[in-house]
Amino acid sequence: MRELPEELDYNMHVKPILSDKCFACHGPDMAKQKAGLRLDLSEAAYGELPENEGNYAIDPGDLEDSQVFHRILSEDPDYIMPTPESHLTLTAYEKAVLIKWIDDGAEYKPHWAFVKPEKEELPEVENEDWIKNSIDNFVLAKLENLNLQPSKQADKRTVLRRINFDLTGLPPTLKEQQDFLKDKSPDAYEKVVDRLFNSSAFGERLAADWLDVARFADSHGYTVDRLRDMSPYRDWVIKAFNENMPYDKFIHWQLAGDLMPNPTKEMLIATAFNRNHQQNMEGGIIEKEFQSEYVVDRTNILGDAFLGVSVGCAKCHDHKYDPISQKEYYQFYSFFNNVREAGQISYDNAMPAPTLLLPTAEEESLVKFINEKLTSKEQQLVKLRSDSKAEFSQWLTAGGAAKLTTQTYPSVGLQARYDFDKNELRNALNPKEVSFTTLVNRDKIKEVFTEGKTGKGILLDGDAWLDFGEVGVFRKGEPFTIGMDIFIPQDFKEGVIFHKSLAERMYNFRGFHVYGRKNGTLEIMMAHAAPANAIVKVSKEKVAKGKWTHLTLVYDGSSKAKGLYLFMDGKKLETTTEVDDLAKDILFTQHVETQPGLQIGGWYRGTGFKNGIVDNVSVYNRKITDFEVAVLAGKETWNKVKSNKKTLEDYYFSAVHQSSISLRNELKNERNALSDATEEVKELMVMKESNKPKPTFLLERGNYDSPGEQVFPNTPDRILPMPENLPKNRYGLAQWLTHPNHPLTARVAVNRLWQNIFGIGLVKTAEDFGNQGELPSHPKLLDYLAVSFTESGWDVKKIIKEMVMSAVYQQDSKTSKELLDWDKENRFLARGPARRLTAEMIRDNALAASGLLNKKVGGPSVKPYQPDGLWRINGATYVPDTTDEVYRRSLYVIVKRSVPNPTLGTFDATSRSYCVVRRQKTNTPLQALVTLNDPTFVEVSKVLGERMAKEENVEKAIMITYNKLTGKLPKAKELALLKELQQKELSKFNASISKAKGWLETGFYEINPQLNMPLVAANAVVANVILNSDAALMRR
Amino acid sequence: MGHHHNDEFKLHTPDFERINKKIDRRNFLTKTSLGLGAVALGSLFGANTLYGSEKQATTGALSDDEMQKQILAALPHIAPKAKRVVYLFMSGGPSQFETFDYKPKLVDMFGQDLPESVRGEQRLTGMSANQSNFPIAPSFTGFKQYGKNDTWVSDLLPYTAQVIDELCIIKSTFTEHINHDPAITFFQTGHQLPGRPSMGSWLSYGLGSDNENLPSFIVLVSKNAGGQPLYSRLWGNGFLPTEHQGVQFRSGKDPVLYLNNPEGYDGEDRAQMLDYLKKLNQFQNEGIADPEVDARIAQYEMAFKMQTSVPEVMSTDDEPDDIFDLYGPDSRDSGTYAANCLLARKLLEKDVKFVQLYHQGWDQHGGLPGGISHQCKNTDQATAALIIDLKQRGLLEDTLVVWGGEFGRTVYSQGRLEKENYGRDHHPRCFTMWMAGAGVKPGFTYGETDDFSYNITKNPVHVHDFHATLMHLMGIDHEQLTFKSQGRRYRLTDVHGTVVKDLLV
Repeated sequence: MRELPEELDYNMHVKPILSDKCFACHGPDMAKQKAGLRLDLSEAAYGELPENEGNYAIDPGDLEDSQVFHRILSEDPDYIMPTPESHLTLTAYEKAVLIKWIDDGAEYKPHWAFVKPEKEELPEVENEDWIKNSIDNFVLAKLENLNLQPSKQADKRTVLRRINFDLTGLPPTLKEQQDFLKDKSPDAYEKVVDRLFNSSAFGERLAADWLDVARFADSHGYTVDRLRDMSPYRDWVIKAFNENMPYDKFIHWQLAGDLMPNPTKEMLIATAFNRNHQQNMEGGIIEKEFQSEYVVDRTNILGDAFLGVSVGCAKCHDHKYDPISQKEYYQFYSFFNNVREAGQISYDNAMPAPTLLLPTAEEESLVKFINEKLTSKEQQLVKLRSDSKAEFSQWLTAGGAAKLTTQTYPSVGLQARYDFDKNELRNALNPKEVSFTTLVNRDKIKEVFTEGKTGKGILLDGDAWLDFGEVGVFRKGEPFTIGMDIFIPQDFKEGVIFHKSLAERMYNFRGFHVYGRKNGTLEIMMAHAAPANAIVKVSKEKVAKGKWTHLTLVYDGSSKAKGLYLFMDGKKLETTTEVDDLAKDILFTQHVETQPGLQIGGWYRGTGFKNGIVDNVSVYNRKITDFEVAVLAGKETWNKVKSNKKTLEDYYFSAVHQSSISLRNELKNERNALSDATEEVKELMVMKESNKPKPTFLLERGNYDSPGEQVFPNTPDRILPMPENLPKNRYGLAQWLTHPNHPLTARVAVNRLWQNIFGIGLVKTAEDFGNQGELPSHPKLLDYLAVSFTESGWDVKKIIKEMVMSAVYQQDSKTSKELLDWDKENRFLARGPARRLTAEMIRDNALAASGLLNKKVGGPSVKPYQPDGLWRINGATYVPDTTDEVYRRSLYVIVKRSVPNPTLGTFDATSRSYCVVRRQKTNTPLQALVTLNDPTFVEVSKVLGERMAKEENVEKAIMITYNKLTGKLPKAKELALLKELQQKELSKFNASISKAKGWLETGFYEINPQLNMPLVAANAVVANVILNSDAALMRR
Repeated sequence: MGHHHNDEFKLHTPDFERINKKIDRRNFLTKTSLGLGAVALGSLFGANTLYGSEKQATTGALSDDEMQKQILAALPHIAPKAKRVVYLFMSGGPSQFETFDYKPKLVDMFGQDLPESVRGEQRLTGMSANQSNFPIAPSFTGFKQYGKNDTWVSDLLPYTAQVIDELCIIKSTFTEHINHDPAITFFQTGHQLPGRPSMGSWLSYGLGSDNENLPSFIVLVSKNAGGQPLYSRLWGNGFLPTEHQGVQFRSGKDPVLYLNNPEGYDGEDRAQMLDYLKKLNQFQNEGIADPEVDARIAQYEMAFKMQTSVPEVMSTDDEPDDIFDLYGPDSRDSGTYAANCLLARKLLEKDVKFVQLYHQGWDQHGGLPGGISHQCKNTDQATAALIIDLKQRGLLEDTLVVWGGEFGRTVYSQGRLEKENYGRDHHPRCFTMWMAGAGVKPGFTYGETDDFSYNITKNPVHVHDFHATLMHLMGIDHEQLTFKSQGRRYRLTDVHGTVVKDLLV
């Protein structure tokens, strides 16, 4: 039983009990408060009980009068607290603490982590000689208080290996070991530290940790889990750490790079942080549900990564333990809710919008070159018209206009015309071309002819669509016109009128469409991947219902909103532009068998045009003039045009003047060339605000379809009210996080860096600094570090350097059994930090020791060896790399969320499906199988074995390998043991070389055939044994 | 060092002398009219056994580790009926209309639009929500009655029909989730988003293992079943320790990842090598005395045992022909559902706690008659065989068999309805699953649905209720097996779930 402290501290001793055992029913969650009582606030706890007149939960200093006292001691199931149903019980110690606290006056204090950290005087210590820097004062003072002694300084080899892994994730090379051992100068260690800080591996080491936080992955997650490439973000993270970007800036860029003044490409890349979350490609999902899910993810990660508060708990109800109400949760949520994104990601693997194009230098110069040509052609076209007025006059004089009067509809550029009058779906221009009505996947069903606008038309049922095969296939650089007579029934509510696409949202609306919105207006869209990479315009006028009307969609090939417009009954509709951001082509290029063309009246899995009729469909491969549209709609006749010279001139230069036509053709070709040049340009998902703010509502019970009151961006007052001068957007939020008065951000950050170096945070629950989190082992040290960090300008390398230069860090990790038992986790730091290498380090250590490691920094992820068939459970195939990419560092190994990499996953690498700030640390038999049998480790053993075979002296060979893998030299008896093993294996392989097959042939690396094979294999076994030993797997 | 940490609770600190004086015990007892208060006080001031073992350094109140130990120490909460579970997960959502939920009235309603009154406010998936009508699709297949209770079973399940008297059928299971990922994740973990432990992990965590040579939670996935994708987090441990994750046993030469030694290097060689490794570890640990080294040595021994025990248990070479005949011809083809059923029996015989089979391909949005006939043909015989086989070995008494998918299917056709061809969309509001064996009523049907199998009319069983019942059968009170993560206590059933007592013997 623990002794009751003489002086109770509310935060330290009392609140952990109240929070864990009482707050679920008597805490901040207003909806769940039982009997109207809350114990998290003093005024409420001291006040008269709302449902029990004259009684008080807590009467400070008066046990008799305090209900809490009686209730916690009771054994009456109807009376006792916590109630039996809660399955929570108080231990005797906990009861004693609460009682003593009430008796002492029940003093409340604000939660420690929500109070701004202050630097306190350095604690005084007796053993001043031991102190290397301020960190040591805090740790030693506590140890001296406990009558404990710190451990002696660890030996040079141990410290070198420790610092190497902690700062670079890699082992020291033999030369680095030699150099350090030889360097007898007092600052030998500091020189090593500085060298490691300056190596590019430093950024990789910190990135490996940050990528867990940022839930970085190479696949979208959820069931379909196709791959995507977010590696430019990873490259940015590595670079940011290597360049020692101040941590406040590191936060600002990731949360709001796009909203900061003059964002650079790198700042935009950093915002991919908030697009790393999972995205769903499942066919049946409801867009809104998952749009909301993505915003939830961004909101939760704000809590987990920066605040150290599980804000996610307040999604469905007020937080049960921490002062974050549900409303405040949705205020956070609203910061991230203004992204123009799809809920369902596209079936054709288009990168979900919004994205940033990342052209290579080559691509960039090509695009620039084409754009210059384009501009010049556009200017030429204007000039050509003014230069060619005379030719127009000649044409007029020659009676060119007269010929037009015989046409019932414009003929120049006409590609297809369907009037359905012979109960046929034939293209009048090309009778071989037959369209058909279809339902799903090209299953033809019989079309229904009915009375049309003129002659026959086609009746539509809302599910089937009239499909015109390849008619209507245009690229974004190609002008076109599509017109038709449409009868829209009176009861039409919403649905597609006509389109060129594959389905409704499944393919993110790639192509173009005319859609009748719920409010009666018409939407026209042209998209690569809606809702961001697109043009969207909406008519101001409503569509005519219950009568025939003529719709014409006209497009000039410019990829701009102003070049796409709609006519109703020959009249150009006024529109509002919602999106004008079409950056890539509108045709399908991947995962689609047949390029779809024009379809009318319905689309796959979408709402169509029930009981509508369509007639007289015309498709042109040019932008026809406004007057021609009116003719097509039957609202004008050619006769009129003769009296209007301006209209006639427009027509002439659009349809007759050969030089103009061929120049426009050239322009089209350039535009297509531009599309081609952009097609392969890499895209990265980034954050981008929609120009039209999206209202945010509190979602009742967290349900996307139960909006409650409207909320606006804001931050919780109990943490830090949002300063007035900050913008109420993500940039303001980012600045709020790093505001000098913010109580959490710096503490959370230094704690995680501490965790990185010492294996366990000063606050063990690095993800939770709230009421339910564990208390800091050294609160004053934490605050000292947090304040130093901000004072230094959030200098990451500087604060880490202070940690690793401390005497605490450099202690020997060996200790007495007593101390080990008493302080298993080394919370009091009376010894140096020891821990198993991380998944990445275990693999990288082996690769580095064998010399196979490919140290290339950055770039897309790699695919090392992996057993066949693992990806098959979701229909994918893993094709391992065939070059030395298989030897790249582990942070580059591809992360497919649904199927973890078997090597790394077995050693507790996270799935990256959500933010993780503290990995599990487990010890399982499956881990043994990996380091014994995984081809990566067998190959490493083989390579080491080969190297050993070149050494004449067996002992020396073993010592070198031991040294490479463990950073140490074997003790004499270890050496003898390994030598004995080598001899046994050697005689075994000499007797039967077939036993050595696996040891000699695993992996790409080919050993020198001149060598003695049994010897190589025997050495490989020895190397593998060392690799599997404690000295290799642990960093002590 | 901290000598006081081993001290007993200080009863006579000045503080408590003062408190003791202040409390007029009699008055206290009267006021609270408890009578038991004295006992409580006794345990407060006197007892040290409750917490006597507390010796570890800690910076706060009771450490989470200690709390978890207390939770595990309380197990089992109830006398367990089942010692092990085999869960036949039919991924994709099998149609209840063509399997167990016989709806003869639908025949006359062929092609009629499903009344809005039936549909109510049920949300539909993005796949059929926009259809302009919802034509009723009766089952293409016939039904017959079997067993002592004349239970209706579809003609597609002739073998299952033969064991109908062993089954406890629930026609009224329901969920909230209408798409595969959320629905399967919900079924396996009690939550629709990734990150929570799967039910097998919870059982492994709570109950440990009865077999030292095999993992307590093993997963088998039918090869080449096609259909909706699976993902290994469905058998993931979430925030529970990694050792409780499901271990997938795969057909082929490497049934567990990296189980095989380098080619040519046999078990004896490996044993010798590990012997040296053990010694090396011990030498290295001299002067360090880290218990983790001993733990790791033990894990290497366990790994070595698995290298022998797993191939042994995976091999069905010794099974007699009549067993293969019982499970059907596919059972000779390793990796098929039938072979996995046979393998499951072997694992259960070895007291593996939780064996989960995944069989994909039940997602018939279109072409349902052909699709579901194929699915039934591939699974029916082996499923029934597993029950028969377990029974004849006396294992069915304490083994729970579960069959079912993540949701049901709609009465209306998704896409075009034809006499011989139609599809059905996802339907969360009612679907059929069954259990058999340990502790559940055999030859029993529970729950009813309306004529359209659209809504439940009697005895709904939510997924949380199913979880609660399953845990109850294993001896666990689902409300008491909790794990604290990120400041909050989690359990498989979240804050819901009721044991469905009516299903229990």
